[in-house]
Amino acid sequence: MAGTEELIDELSDLALFADLARPELAGVAHTLEEEWYADGQRVLREGFSGTGFYILLEGEVAVRIEGQERARLRRGAFFGEAAILLGEPPGADVVAAGRVRVVHVAGPALHEFLMRHPNVMFRMLQEQTRRLRSANRWAR
Amino acid sequence: MVGGMTMTVAERAALLSHVTLFAGLPEASLQALAELAGEAEFGDGDAIVLQGQVGTGLFVIVAGAARVVRGGEELDRLGPGDYLGELAVIDRMPRMASVFSVGPTTCLALASWDLFRRVDGDPELVHSLLRGLAMRVRHLSEHHSH
Repeated sequence: MAGTEELIDELSDLALFADLARPELAGVAHTLEEEWYADGQRVLREGFSGTGFYILLEGEVAVRIEGQERARLRRGAFFGEAAILLGEPPGADVVAAGRVRVVHVAGPALHEFLMRHPNVMFRMLQEQTRRLRSANRWAR
Repeated sequence: MVGGMTMTVAERAALLSHVTLFAGLPEASLQALAELAGEAEFGDGDAIVLQGQVGTGLFVIVAGAARVVRGGEELDRLGPGDYLGELAVIDRMPRMASVFSVGPTTCLALASWDLFRRVDGDPELVHSLLRGLAMRVRHLSEHHSH
């Protein structure tokens, strides 16, 4: 378990939090809950409700839809927000590939978290735009 | 709407409230967007946005229709209530497709600089954009898995 100061340092390195000054980052660090997952453990379950917004701090996760791997995510990546925003169960399994450390915001707390940190939300919006462009189909 | 008629701010706000990108926005945010929105008229076949250009605006179709074209291939048809141009407005990268009007078409146009100014002080607007794009990403991945 990282101390709060250490966690703030870690968060400050991530693109998602690049616009935050240290006092705001400290607030973020206090809100986030840290979790570890072992190799093969599921962080998110496709089709299951009751989830959260996750930010990957250490290790790698595999994104699987109907058992088929679609992507690998690494340090600084985030996931789980779409299901919460849409009020739907996750559209994919997210599985730890090796030992994984994440921080997360519980689903019901996400709206308040985002309203309190609009710069983080804007970074998420930019990432969402990037995902849509790389999905490269209807995107325009 | 066609023929140079002008919508009131309340009419524009009502229209924007039915656009998925702005679904669930509080009345005050809708009102502010409606005040910034301009009306743009396009003749049959006019380019509303062009592939490769850097985006300066987001458009919502009020009346008429449009077709989305990339590299000569038609990808989609759009009608009243549909929006276009949102990605380039957010990331200021070149447009990925062109959109041409089909018949006389009226759009509400939101300039990127106006939208950015709003985004700064209106977290609910960013939230609704994030939600709208999340919906699009989800639809894409569902299409791909079938």
